[in-house]
Amino acid sequence: MDGDTKPWGRELGRVTAERLVSTISTGPEKHLVKLSMEGVEQIDASFASEAIAEVIGRYRKKIGICLVDLSDDGIRFNIDMAAAHVGVPVTVWNGSQVDILGAKPSSGNREALNYALERREVRASEFADVAGISIANASTKFKSLWDNGFLMRVETAADSGGVEFLYRRIG
Amino acid sequence: MVTESSLVERKLSLPDKWVDTHTFDNTLCRCGDVLGPFVTGVIVDIPPNCKLMIDVIVRLLSLCNQLSACTKRVRLHFGDAGTAIGYLNRMGFFDHLAAAVEVYPHRPTLSGATIHRGSNKGLVEIERFNRSVPADKTLAPRLAETVKRGWPDRADRNAIESASFSIFSELIGNVYEHSGPGLDAYAALQTYPQAKKVTVTVSDSGMGIMASLKPAFERKGLTSMSEVAILVEMFRRGISSKEEGNRGLGLMTSGRHAIRFNADLDVRLLNQRVLLRPSQDTYQPHMAYSQEQLPLLWGTHISFSFRLD
Repeated sequence: MDGDTKPWGRELGRVTAERLVSTISTGPEKHLVKLSMEGVEQIDASFASEAIAEVIGRYRKKIGICLVDLSDDGIRFNIDMAAAHVGVPVTVWNGSQVDILGAKPSSGNREALNYALERREVRASEFADVAGISIANASTKFKSLWDNGFLMRVETAADSGGVEFLYRRIG
Repeated sequence: MVTESSLVERKLSLPDKWVDTHTFDNTLCRCGDVLGPFVTGVIVDIPPNCKLMIDVIVRLLSLCNQLSACTKRVRLHFGDAGTAIGYLNRMGFFDHLAAAVEVYPHRPTLSGATIHRGSNKGLVEIERFNRSVPADKTLAPRLAETVKRGWPDRADRNAIESASFSIFSELIGNVYEHSGPGLDAYAALQTYPQAKKVTVTVSDSGMGIMASLKPAFERKGLTSMSEVAILVEMFRRGISSKEEGNRGLGLMTSGRHAIRFNADLDVRLLNQRVLLRPSQDTYQPHMAYSQEQLPLLWGTHISFSFRLD
Protein backbone atom coordinates (compact mmCIF):
# COMPACT_ATOMS: atom_id res chain seq x y z
CA MET A 1 0.00 0.00 0.00
CA ASP A 2 1.31 3.45 -0.87
CA GLY A 3 4.37 1.80 -2.38
CA ASP A 4 5.24 -0.05 0.84
CA THR A 5 6.14 -3.58 -0.23
CA LYS A 6 6.88 -4.83 3.30
CA PRO A 7 3.92 -3.71 5.44
CA TRP A 8 3.70 -5.07 8.97
CA GLY A 9 1.81 -4.62 12.18
CA ARG A 10 -1.79 -4.50 13.22
CA GLU A 11 -2.17 -0.74 12.94
CA LEU A 12 -1.14 -0.58 9.31
CA GLY A 13 -3.25 -3.65 8.69
CA ARG A 14 -6.33 -1.82 9.99
CA VAL A 15 -5.65 1.19 7.80
CA THR A 16 -5.25 -1.08 4.79
CA ALA A 17 -8.45 -2.92 5.67
CA GLU A 18 -10.38 0.35 5.79
CA ARG A 19 -9.17 1.28 2.36
CA LEU A 20 -9.99 -2.15 0.98
CA VAL A 21 -13.49 -2.02 2.43
CA SER A 22 -13.98 1.45 1.04
CA THR A 23 -12.92 0.28 -2.41
CA ILE A 24 -15.12 -2.81 -2.27
CA SER A 25 -18.11 -0.86 -1.00
CA THR A 26 -18.07 1.77 -3.71
CA GLY A 27 -18.95 1.32 -7.35
CA PRO A 28 -21.18 -1.36 -8.83
CA GLU A 29 -22.32 -4.33 -6.79
CA LYS A 30 -19.70 -7.06 -6.70
CA HIS A 31 -19.83 -10.77 -6.03
CA LEU A 32 -16.16 -11.52 -6.50
CA VAL A 33 -13.00 -9.58 -5.67
CA LYS A 34 -9.48 -10.71 -6.53
CA LEU A 35 -6.68 -9.22 -4.46
CA SER A 36 -3.35 -9.30 -6.22
CA MET A 37 -0.28 -9.84 -4.06
CA GLU A 38 2.07 -8.89 -6.88
CA GLY A 39 4.90 -6.67 -5.69
CA VAL A 40 4.35 -7.49 -2.03
CA GLU A 41 7.66 -8.68 -0.67
CA GLN A 42 6.79 -9.38 2.97
CA ILE A 43 3.89 -9.08 5.36
CA ASP A 44 3.62 -10.33 8.89
CA ALA A 45 0.76 -12.29 10.39
CA SER A 46 -0.62 -9.34 12.34
CA PHE A 47 -0.93 -7.28 9.17
CA ALA A 48 -2.43 -10.25 7.32
CA SER A 49 -4.92 -10.76 10.11
CA GLU A 50 -6.32 -7.24 9.86
CA ALA A 51 -5.92 -6.50 6.14
CA ILE A 52 -6.78 -9.89 4.67
CA ALA A 53 -8.41 -12.34 7.08
CA GLU A 54 -10.70 -9.81 8.76
CA VAL A 55 -11.81 -8.31 5.43
CA ILE A 56 -12.50 -11.70 3.87
CA GLY A 57 -14.38 -12.78 6.98
CA ARG A 58 -16.40 -9.57 6.97
CA TYR A 59 -17.81 -10.29 3.51
CA ARG A 60 -18.33 -14.01 4.02
CA LYS A 61 -21.42 -15.28 2.19
CA LYS A 62 -21.84 -11.90 0.50
CA ILE A 63 -18.75 -11.24 -1.60
CA GLY A 64 -16.14 -13.83 -2.47
CA ILE A 65 -12.62 -12.48 -1.98
CA CYS A 66 -9.58 -14.45 -3.10
CA LEU A 67 -5.88 -13.81 -3.46
CA VAL A 68 -3.93 -14.07 -6.69
CA ASP A 69 -0.26 -13.69 -7.63
CA LEU A 70 0.90 -15.09 -4.31
CA SER A 71 4.10 -17.05 -4.76
CA ASP A 72 6.17 -16.21 -1.68
CA ASP A 73 6.24 -19.02 0.87
CA GLY A 74 6.90 -16.70 3.79
CA ILE A 75 3.84 -14.59 3.00
CA ARG A 76 1.73 -17.72 2.51
CA PHE A 77 2.89 -19.02 5.89
CA ASN A 78 1.87 -15.81 7.66
CA ILE A 79 -1.50 -15.54 5.91
CA ASP A 80 -2.16 -19.18 6.72
CA MET A 81 -1.42 -18.65 10.43
CA ALA A 82 -3.36 -15.41 10.65
CA ALA A 83 -6.45 -16.75 8.90
CA ALA A 84 -6.41 -20.03 10.83
CA HIS A 85 -6.24 -18.11 14.10
CA VAL A 86 -9.52 -16.34 13.36
CA GLY A 87 -11.18 -19.26 11.59
CA VAL A 88 -11.30 -17.71 8.11
CA PRO A 89 -10.55 -19.68 4.92
CA VAL A 90 -8.59 -17.79 2.28
CA THR A 91 -8.78 -18.99 -1.33
CA VAL A 92 -5.52 -18.52 -3.16
CA TRP A 93 -4.97 -18.92 -6.90
CA ASN A 94 -1.68 -19.52 -8.65
CA GLY A 95 -2.59 -19.71 -12.31
CA SER A 96 -5.12 -22.51 -12.47
CA GLN A 97 -4.03 -24.02 -9.16
CA VAL A 98 -6.24 -23.27 -6.17
CA ASP A 99 -5.42 -23.69 -2.50
CA ILE A 100 -7.15 -22.84 0.77
CA LEU A 101 -5.10 -21.16 3.49
CA GLY A 102 -6.25 -20.60 7.03
CA ALA A 103 -9.33 -22.39 8.32
CA LYS A 104 -9.77 -25.94 7.10
CA PRO A 105 -13.04 -27.76 6.47
CA SER A 106 -14.21 -30.44 8.86
CA SER A 107 -13.12 -33.95 7.97
CA GLY A 108 -16.65 -34.75 6.88
CA ASN A 109 -16.75 -31.86 4.40
CA ARG A 110 -13.25 -32.16 2.99
CA GLU A 111 -14.20 -34.41 0.10
CA ALA A 112 -17.07 -32.15 -0.89
CA LEU A 113 -14.80 -29.12 -0.87
CA ASN A 114 -12.17 -30.86 -2.98
CA TYR A 115 -14.89 -31.84 -5.44
CA ALA A 116 -16.12 -28.26 -5.64
CA LEU A 117 -12.63 -26.80 -6.06
CA GLU A 118 -12.03 -28.94 -9.13
CA ARG A 119 -15.05 -27.48 -10.90
CA ARG A 120 -16.32 -24.04 -11.66
CA GLU A 121 -19.68 -24.76 -10.07
CA VAL A 122 -21.43 -27.77 -8.56
CA ARG A 123 -24.85 -28.92 -7.45
CA ALA A 124 -25.42 -30.99 -4.35
CA SER A 125 -27.17 -33.62 -6.45
CA GLU A 126 -24.06 -34.13 -8.61
CA PHE A 127 -21.84 -34.71 -5.61
CA ALA A 128 -24.44 -36.97 -4.02
CA ASP A 129 -24.24 -39.25 -7.09
CA VAL A 130 -20.45 -39.33 -7.03
CA ALA A 131 -20.09 -39.81 -3.30
CA GLY A 132 -22.97 -42.23 -2.96
CA ILE A 133 -24.79 -40.18 -0.33
CA SER A 134 -28.23 -38.65 -0.16
CA ILE A 135 -28.94 -35.30 -1.77
CA ALA A 136 -29.96 -33.97 1.64
CA ASN A 137 -26.62 -35.03 3.08
CA ALA A 138 -24.72 -33.43 0.20
CA SER A 139 -26.76 -30.24 0.57
CA THR A 140 -25.90 -30.05 4.23
CA LYS A 141 -22.19 -30.37 3.43
CA PHE A 142 -22.21 -27.66 0.79
CA LYS A 143 -24.32 -25.35 2.92
CA SER A 144 -21.82 -25.76 5.71
CA LEU A 145 -18.95 -24.95 3.35
CA TRP A 146 -20.83 -21.85 2.20
CA ASP A 147 -21.66 -20.81 5.78
CA ASN A 148 -18.01 -21.06 6.73
CA GLY A 149 -16.69 -19.12 3.75
CA PHE A 150 -15.15 -21.87 1.62
CA LEU A 151 -17.58 -21.49 -1.25
CA MET A 152 -20.01 -19.01 -2.71
CA ARG A 153 -23.50 -19.89 -3.87
CA VAL A 154 -26.21 -18.57 -6.15
CA GLU A 155 -29.86 -19.44 -6.13
CA THR A 156 -31.34 -20.97 -9.27
CA ALA A 157 -34.56 -22.60 -10.31
CA ALA A 158 -34.51 -26.36 -9.96
CA ASP A 159 -35.84 -28.61 -12.72
CA SER A 160 -38.50 -29.70 -10.27
CA GLY A 161 -39.70 -26.10 -10.00
CA GLY A 162 -38.26 -25.41 -6.60
CA VAL A 163 -35.09 -23.63 -5.58
CA GLU A 164 -31.64 -25.08 -6.07
CA PHE A 165 -28.25 -23.71 -5.18
CA LEU A 166 -25.20 -23.63 -7.38
CA TYR A 167 -22.02 -23.70 -5.28
CA ARG A 168 -18.94 -22.00 -6.65
CA ARG A 169 -15.30 -21.86 -5.65
CA ILE A 170 -14.14 -18.34 -4.88
CA GLY A 171 -12.29 -17.02 -7.91
CA MET B 1 10.63 2.28 58.52
CA VAL B 2 13.45 3.02 56.11
CA THR B 3 16.40 4.55 57.93
CA GLU B 4 19.62 5.94 56.63
CA SER B 5 21.50 2.88 57.88
CA SER B 6 19.27 0.52 55.91
CA LEU B 7 20.03 2.20 52.55
CA VAL B 8 22.81 0.55 50.60
CA GLU B 9 24.71 0.67 47.36
CA ARG B 10 25.07 -2.64 45.54
CA LYS B 11 27.70 -3.95 43.20
CA LEU B 12 26.87 -6.00 40.12
CA SER B 13 30.13 -7.73 39.19
CA LEU B 14 30.01 -9.31 35.79
CA PRO B 15 32.50 -12.15 35.20
CA ASP B 16 35.57 -11.75 33.04
CA LYS B 17 34.35 -14.04 30.27
CA TRP B 18 31.38 -14.53 27.94
CA VAL B 19 28.17 -13.58 29.71
CA ASP B 20 24.89 -15.08 28.53
CA THR B 21 21.45 -14.44 30.03
CA HIS B 22 21.80 -17.30 32.50
CA THR B 23 25.09 -15.92 33.82
CA PHE B 24 23.70 -12.40 33.88
CA ASP B 25 20.74 -13.41 36.01
CA ASN B 26 22.95 -15.44 38.36
CA THR B 27 25.13 -12.39 38.80
CA LEU B 28 22.07 -10.23 39.39
CA CYS B 29 20.87 -12.70 42.03
CA ARG B 30 24.13 -12.32 43.94
CA CYS B 31 23.69 -8.59 43.75
CA GLY B 32 20.13 -8.63 45.03
CA ASP B 33 16.97 -6.66 44.28
CA VAL B 34 18.58 -3.49 42.95
CA LEU B 35 15.24 -1.95 42.00
CA GLY B 36 14.06 -2.32 45.59
CA PRO B 37 13.52 0.60 47.98
CA PHE B 38 16.63 0.03 50.10
CA VAL B 39 19.13 0.38 47.28
CA THR B 40 20.41 3.87 46.60
CA GLY B 41 22.75 2.99 43.80
CA VAL B 42 24.40 0.28 41.76
CA ILE B 43 27.96 -0.09 40.54
CA VAL B 44 28.19 -2.34 37.49
CA ASP B 45 31.68 -3.75 37.22
CA ILE B 46 32.58 -4.87 33.68
CA PRO B 47 36.08 -6.42 33.61
CA PRO B 48 38.45 -6.12 30.62
CA ASN B 49 37.66 -9.45 28.99
CA CYS B 50 33.98 -9.49 29.73
CA LYS B 51 32.01 -10.25 26.58
CA LEU B 52 28.30 -9.69 26.71
CA MET B 53 25.86 -11.51 24.45
CA ILE B 54 23.53 -9.16 22.62
CA ASP B 55 20.47 -10.06 24.69
CA VAL B 56 22.46 -9.40 27.87
CA ILE B 57 23.52 -6.00 26.51
CA VAL B 58 19.94 -5.00 25.87
CA ARG B 59 18.75 -6.25 29.27
CA LEU B 60 21.60 -4.44 30.99
CA LEU B 61 20.63 -1.29 29.10
CA SER B 62 17.02 -1.67 30.25
CA LEU B 63 18.12 -2.30 33.84
CA CYS B 64 20.40 0.76 33.92
CA ASN B 65 17.65 2.98 32.53
CA GLN B 66 15.10 1.58 34.97
CA LEU B 67 17.46 2.24 37.87
CA SER B 68 18.10 5.75 36.64
CA ALA B 69 14.38 6.38 36.25
CA CYS B 70 14.03 5.39 39.92
CA THR B 71 16.63 8.07 40.74
CA LYS B 72 19.19 5.52 41.86
CA ARG B 73 22.79 6.33 41.18
CA VAL B 74 24.21 4.05 38.49
CA ARG B 75 27.90 3.75 37.73
CA LEU B 76 29.40 1.57 35.01
CA HIS B 77 33.02 0.67 35.63
CA PHE B 78 34.99 -0.65 32.66
CA GLY B 79 38.51 -2.08 32.77
CA ASP B 80 41.14 0.23 31.30
CA ALA B 81 42.33 -2.04 28.52
CA GLY B 82 39.13 -3.89 27.92
CA THR B 83 37.21 -4.31 24.70
CA ALA B 84 33.78 -4.30 26.28
CA ILE B 85 33.34 -0.55 26.19
CA GLY B 86 34.31 -0.44 22.52
CA TYR B 87 31.85 -3.17 21.60
CA LEU B 88 29.02 -1.60 23.58
CA ASN B 89 29.74 1.72 21.88
CA ARG B 90 29.68 0.00 18.51
CA MET B 91 26.26 -1.46 19.33
CA GLY B 92 24.84 1.91 20.33
CA PHE B 93 24.57 1.10 24.03
CA PHE B 94 25.70 4.56 25.14
CA ASP B 95 23.41 6.27 22.61
CA HIS B 96 20.42 4.96 24.54
CA LEU B 97 21.86 4.92 28.06
CA ALA B 98 20.21 7.42 30.41
CA ALA B 99 22.28 10.60 30.65
CA ALA B 100 22.49 10.34 34.44
CA VAL B 101 24.30 7.01 34.33
CA GLU B 102 27.98 7.54 35.08
CA VAL B 103 30.54 5.73 32.92
CA TYR B 104 34.15 5.13 34.03
CA PRO B 105 36.82 5.80 32.83
CA HIS B 106 34.54 7.96 30.68
CA ARG B 107 31.54 7.82 28.41
CA PRO B 108 32.62 7.58 24.75
CA THR B 109 32.46 11.00 23.11
CA LEU B 110 31.66 9.64 19.67
CA SER B 111 29.01 7.08 18.92
CA GLY B 112 30.46 4.01 17.26
CA ALA B 113 26.98 3.01 16.15
CA THR B 114 26.39 6.31 14.40
CA ILE B 115 29.74 6.20 12.64
CA HIS B 116 29.58 2.59 11.52
CA ARG B 117 25.84 1.95 11.30
CA GLY B 118 25.02 -0.59 8.63
CA SER B 119 28.63 -1.35 7.77
CA ASN B 120 28.83 -4.66 9.60
CA LYS B 121 26.63 -7.21 7.98
CA GLY B 122 26.66 -9.37 11.06
CA LEU B 123 24.88 -7.08 13.46
CA VAL B 124 22.11 -4.57 13.83
CA GLU B 125 22.88 -1.77 16.24
CA ILE B 126 20.42 -1.31 19.08
CA GLU B 127 17.27 0.32 17.78
CA ARG B 128 15.07 2.23 20.18
CA PHE B 129 11.33 2.53 19.96
CA ASN B 130 8.60 3.77 22.27
CA ARG B 131 4.88 3.19 22.08
CA SER B 132 4.27 6.91 22.47
CA VAL B 133 5.69 7.32 18.96
CA PRO B 134 4.35 5.42 15.91
CA ALA B 135 6.60 2.56 14.91
CA ASP B 136 9.21 3.21 12.25
CA LYS B 137 7.87 1.01 9.48
CA THR B 138 11.35 0.41 8.08
CA LEU B 139 12.54 -1.09 11.38
CA ALA B 140 11.49 -4.72 10.93
CA PRO B 141 12.57 -4.92 7.26
CA ARG B 142 15.97 -3.37 8.08
CA LEU B 143 16.57 -5.82 10.89
CA ALA B 144 15.62 -8.75 8.70
CA GLU B 145 17.74 -7.58 5.79
CA THR B 146 20.79 -7.56 8.02
CA VAL B 147 20.28 -11.21 8.82
CA LYS B 148 20.19 -12.01 5.13
CA ARG B 149 23.34 -9.97 4.44
CA GLY B 150 25.14 -11.83 7.19
CA TRP B 151 24.69 -15.17 5.46
CA PRO B 152 25.22 -14.52 1.74
CA ASP B 153 26.18 -18.07 0.88
CA ARG B 154 23.24 -19.84 2.44
CA ALA B 155 20.64 -21.28 0.09
CA ASP B 156 17.88 -20.56 2.64
CA ARG B 157 18.86 -16.93 3.30
CA ASN B 158 15.54 -15.68 1.90
CA ALA B 159 13.65 -17.94 4.28
CA ILE B 160 15.82 -16.75 7.15
CA GLU B 161 15.13 -13.13 6.23
CA SER B 162 11.42 -13.84 6.04
CA ALA B 163 11.40 -15.49 9.45
CA SER B 164 13.48 -12.69 10.98
CA PHE B 165 11.13 -10.09 9.53
CA SER B 166 8.13 -11.78 11.09
CA ILE B 167 9.78 -12.33 14.45
CA PHE B 168 10.91 -8.74 14.75
CA SER B 169 7.64 -7.28 13.50
CA GLU B 170 5.54 -9.40 15.85
CA LEU B 171 7.73 -8.84 18.92
CA ILE B 172 7.90 -5.10 18.29
CA GLY B 173 4.17 -5.01 17.63
CA ASN B 174 3.64 -6.90 20.86
CA VAL B 175 5.48 -4.18 22.78
CA TYR B 176 3.12 -1.60 21.34
CA GLU B 177 0.11 -3.63 22.34
CA HIS B 178 1.06 -4.99 25.75
CA SER B 179 3.87 -3.10 27.41
CA GLY B 180 1.92 -0.10 28.63
CA PRO B 181 3.36 3.42 28.79
CA GLY B 182 6.92 3.70 30.02
CA LEU B 183 10.57 3.73 29.14
CA ASP B 184 11.99 3.01 25.72
CA ALA B 185 12.07 -0.47 24.26
CA TYR B 186 14.93 -1.89 22.23
CA ALA B 187 15.59 -4.31 19.40
CA ALA B 188 18.94 -5.64 18.24
CA LEU B 189 20.58 -8.50 16.42
CA GLN B 190 23.96 -10.16 16.41
CA THR B 191 25.28 -13.04 14.37
CA TYR B 192 27.83 -15.38 15.93
CA PRO B 193 29.52 -17.08 12.96
CA GLN B 194 31.74 -19.38 14.97
CA ALA B 195 28.78 -20.63 16.98
CA LYS B 196 26.69 -20.60 13.78
CA LYS B 197 23.85 -18.76 15.37
CA VAL B 198 21.94 -15.51 15.14
CA THR B 199 20.37 -13.91 18.18
CA VAL B 200 17.43 -11.60 17.81
CA THR B 201 16.34 -9.68 20.89
CA VAL B 202 13.53 -7.30 21.82
CA SER B 203 13.22 -5.77 25.28
CA ASP B 204 10.79 -3.39 26.89
CA SER B 205 10.45 -1.94 30.40
CA GLY B 206 6.69 -2.16 30.70
CA MET B 207 4.47 -3.98 33.12
CA GLY B 208 5.36 -7.42 31.84
CA ILE B 209 3.43 -9.60 29.48
CA MET B 210 1.94 -11.82 32.16
CA ALA B 211 0.23 -8.88 33.84
CA SER B 212 -1.21 -7.56 30.58
CA LEU B 213 -2.60 -10.95 29.62
CA LYS B 214 -4.02 -11.79 33.05
CA PRO B 215 -7.64 -11.02 32.09
CA ALA B 216 -7.41 -13.49 29.24
CA PHE B 217 -5.96 -16.16 31.52
CA GLU B 218 -8.80 -15.77 33.97
CA ARG B 219 -11.40 -15.84 31.20
CA LYS B 220 -9.98 -19.07 29.84
CA GLY B 221 -9.66 -20.65 33.28
CA LEU B 222 -5.86 -20.83 33.07
CA THR B 223 -5.06 -19.40 36.50
CA SER B 224 -4.05 -22.83 37.80
CA MET B 225 -1.35 -23.23 35.14
CA SER B 226 2.24 -22.33 35.98
CA GLU B 227 3.72 -19.26 34.34
CA VAL B 228 6.04 -21.50 32.33
CA ALA B 229 3.10 -23.49 30.99
CA ILE B 230 1.23 -20.30 30.16
CA LEU B 231 4.28 -18.92 28.39
CA VAL B 232 4.58 -22.07 26.30
CA GLU B 233 0.90 -21.81 25.37
CA MET B 234 1.35 -18.18 24.33
CA PHE B 235 4.07 -19.17 21.89
CA ARG B 236 2.35 -22.32 20.70
CA ARG B 237 -1.26 -21.25 20.28
CA GLY B 238 -1.53 -17.65 21.42
CA ILE B 239 -3.62 -16.32 24.25
CA SER B 240 -5.62 -13.22 23.58
CA SER B 241 -5.71 -10.18 25.82
CA LYS B 242 -8.63 -8.65 23.96
CA GLU B 243 -12.20 -9.83 23.46
CA GLU B 244 -11.77 -9.99 19.69
CA GLY B 245 -10.61 -13.28 18.25
CA ASN B 246 -7.69 -12.01 16.22
CA ARG B 247 -5.47 -11.12 19.15
CA GLY B 248 -2.82 -13.30 20.70
CA LEU B 249 -1.32 -13.91 17.29
CA GLY B 250 2.04 -12.15 17.62
CA LEU B 251 3.89 -14.42 20.01
CA MET B 252 2.45 -17.54 18.43
CA THR B 253 3.60 -16.41 15.00
CA SER B 254 7.08 -15.53 16.14
CA GLY B 255 7.30 -18.88 17.90
CA ARG B 256 6.21 -20.79 14.79
CA HIS B 257 8.82 -19.02 12.67
CA ALA B 258 11.54 -19.62 15.20
CA ILE B 259 10.73 -23.31 15.48
CA ARG B 260 11.34 -23.75 11.75
CA PHE B 261 14.97 -22.82 12.44
CA ASN B 262 15.23 -24.81 15.64
CA ALA B 263 15.62 -21.62 17.69
CA ASP B 264 15.98 -21.46 21.43
CA LEU B 265 13.59 -19.00 23.05
CA ASP B 266 14.72 -17.03 26.08
CA VAL B 267 12.16 -14.94 27.96
CA ARG B 268 12.92 -12.78 30.98
CA LEU B 269 9.80 -11.88 32.92
CA LEU B 270 9.58 -9.65 35.99
CA ASN B 271 11.05 -12.20 38.41
CA GLN B 272 11.65 -15.25 36.27
CA ARG B 273 13.60 -16.37 33.26
CA VAL B 274 12.47 -19.19 31.00
CA LEU B 275 14.54 -20.91 28.32
CA LEU B 276 12.59 -23.03 25.87
CA ARG B 277 14.36 -25.49 23.62
CA PRO B 278 12.53 -26.90 20.58
CA SER B 279 11.26 -30.44 20.90
CA GLN B 280 9.40 -32.29 18.14
CA ASP B 281 8.98 -29.11 16.14
CA THR B 282 7.38 -27.17 18.98
CA TYR B 283 8.05 -25.67 22.39
CA GLN B 284 6.91 -27.83 25.26
CA PRO B 285 6.76 -27.22 29.03
CA HIS B 286 8.89 -30.24 29.86
CA MET B 287 11.71 -28.84 27.70
CA ALA B 288 11.70 -25.52 29.57
CA TYR B 289 14.46 -24.41 31.89
CA SER B 290 13.27 -21.91 34.45
CA GLN B 291 15.11 -19.61 36.85
CA GLU B 292 12.71 -18.50 39.56
CA GLN B 293 12.64 -15.76 42.19
CA LEU B 294 14.99 -13.52 40.29
CA PRO B 295 15.48 -9.88 41.22
CA LEU B 296 12.94 -7.62 39.62
CA LEU B 297 13.60 -6.47 36.07
CA TRP B 298 10.64 -4.57 34.65
CA GLY B 299 9.27 -5.47 31.26
CA THR B 300 9.43 -8.44 28.94
CA HIS B 301 12.70 -9.40 27.34
CA ILE B 302 12.54 -11.92 24.54
CA SER B 303 15.33 -13.36 22.47
CA PHE B 304 15.46 -16.06 19.85
CA SER B 305 18.70 -17.76 18.95
CA PHE B 306 18.58 -19.39 15.53
CA ARG B 307 20.91 -22.26 14.89
CA LEU B 308 22.25 -22.05 11.38
CA ASP B 309 24.15 -25.28 10.88
